[in-house]
Amino acid sequence: MGIAATITAPAEGPFFQGKKSVEPILKTENLWKLYRAGKVDVPALRGVNFAVQPGESVAVMGPSGCGKSSLLYVIGGLAQASRGKVFVDGNDLTSLSDAARTRLRRHKIGFVFQRFNLLPTLTAKGNIAIAQFIHGDGFDPHRFDVVTQLLGLAGRMHHKPSELSGGEQQRVAIARAIINEPKILLADEPTGNLDSKNSEVVLQMLRQLNKDLGQTIVMITHNPEATTYFDRVVHMRDGIIVDGVPAD
Amino acid sequence: MMGELIARNLLHRPLRTLIGVMAVAVEVALVVLIVGLTSGLLTETAKRIEGIGADIMLQPPAASVFLGFSGSPMPIKIGERLSEIKYVQSVAPVLLQFNSTGGVDVIYGIDPDSFRTVSGGFVFIEGHDMEGPDDLLVDDWAAKAKHIKVGDTYKLLNHDWHVAAIIEHGKGARLFVPLDTLQDLVGARDKASIFLIKCTRPEHTEDVMEEIRHTLPGYTVRPLKDFLSLMTSTNIPGLQAFINAMIALAVCIGLLVIFLTMYTTVIERTRDIGVLKSLGADSSFIIRALLSESAALCVLGIFAGVGLSYAVRAAFLAGFPTLSILITPGWILRAAGIALIGAVFGASYPAWLASRKDAVEALSYD
Repeated sequence: MGIAATITAPAEGPFFQGKKSVEPILKTENLWKLYRAGKVDVPALRGVNFAVQPGESVAVMGPSGCGKSSLLYVIGGLAQASRGKVFVDGNDLTSLSDAARTRLRRHKIGFVFQRFNLLPTLTAKGNIAIAQFIHGDGFDPHRFDVVTQLLGLAGRMHHKPSELSGGEQQRVAIARAIINEPKILLADEPTGNLDSKNSEVVLQMLRQLNKDLGQTIVMITHNPEATTYFDRVVHMRDGIIVDGVPAD
Repeated sequence: MMGELIARNLLHRPLRTLIGVMAVAVEVALVVLIVGLTSGLLTETAKRIEGIGADIMLQPPAASVFLGFSGSPMPIKIGERLSEIKYVQSVAPVLLQFNSTGGVDVIYGIDPDSFRTVSGGFVFIEGHDMEGPDDLLVDDWAAKAKHIKVGDTYKLLNHDWHVAAIIEHGKGARLFVPLDTLQDLVGARDKASIFLIKCTRPEHTEDVMEEIRHTLPGYTVRPLKDFLSLMTSTNIPGLQAFINAMIALAVCIGLLVIFLTMYTTVIERTRDIGVLKSLGADSSFIIRALLSESAALCVLGIFAGVGLSYAVRAAFLAGFPTLSILITPGWILRAAGIALIGAVFGASYPAWLASRKDAVEALSYD
């Protein structure tokens, strides 16, 4: 039995293969996000309509300041929408309290950041285990072993982030994000701080997670090459999605 | 997992952790030592007075239980009236003189014969009993503290004394001189500060006290066995307030350092707090993590504080052998409780601040 087969696929269906009839795992309707700058409201998102099917991998591209990160934070429940709706696995985030959004994030969302954002005091193992601890199901050694082997981290578990390369740190961050089998993995420029070789490794792993396990992934990137690893590319400009085409 | 997180966080900044631990240690040690010094001195003084061996002490009206605070207004002839009371075996007049030269002492001016009858006499470690008018008896603790040897000349109350003997401690005072000489020196001829009374049998004590109250109305009559219970800080005007003020000061030191430590921790870990929130940690998790870390820091500080208290006590006793510092489990526990409450209180605002941080802002914090 292969590694992939030992992990339960997080999405509700088999690997997404263009089955558009399936209910979206993530959907936004006329989504607005305004930031207050002095006495002025500055819109970061201006009516975004966006849907992601279970098992789909989507890359979001666009220039700096176009609202990519805001979109990621709002659909991940880290930031509150100013207007519109966000549905994650059927739950309307905009109608939830802060505590309820936190619970939903804990159980359905995994984050990967550009700057890895590992806790510097913990080892690689501790960084992954704390996600399980917060999730509340306790430490699952089987799941832990499978994920760390899948990401090629088995020999690096007792090292602190400062003792790991950038690529290794990002793989630990991915392991932390998927350890609780989230419905959606949100990645904010995960290769932005990596060299091309490590970028490729990380992208390969994200693709493997998507293809082998059916993990739904939404990734923000500036790198056009990175989008080739994804099913679909969405372009953003000035807070709105300007297109959404399948990648080659 | 929470334990590992706390332990690794504490180890991440060892100097800051050490400063926090030492602040709590100083807080605990201050409380334990201030209370220990006060109660130690009072208890030791009370035991010394009880150790005289008499049954009753007579003092002037409204006299303090702290003998050094009393003057010498009683005529020595009162002793004759006391001797006539039924069941009184012997009476010893004692003149007390407060001395602050070369240390703080209460000198007992005694008549060696009557004092011996009342107290059962001294245990002589070295030397002999008073024979001349300038003979001085010194107890072993004072001799060690003041480096006094038998045969030395010791200046006290602007008078040169001949050290006749080193005696075992526990007979009221640390320094004993002849009554007549002390009366002349302090201008209290035929006066006594207290009378020590020995009954024919201890069970007659109450009867004798009652008779003294009848014979000498208004005078203060105390059974010596009750001295320990009377010697408390609440019986010294202002002392309890001083102790409370010092404890409050110690608590403030601990609280402020813990507050500063945890506040800088929260600022430094802003991004980490954002990460924990992105993983789904709620406010209670963040608060629990920081309060637990503060409590762990405090527990380390408590252990260090107890060790520091014993070390300081040992150092004090080496330098000042007549001091008595009473470290009790009860006050260690109380000091620990005070420190723990202070640590949790000091960490509360930083923890609340951390729990309120905006996750997105925290994640972009540099």
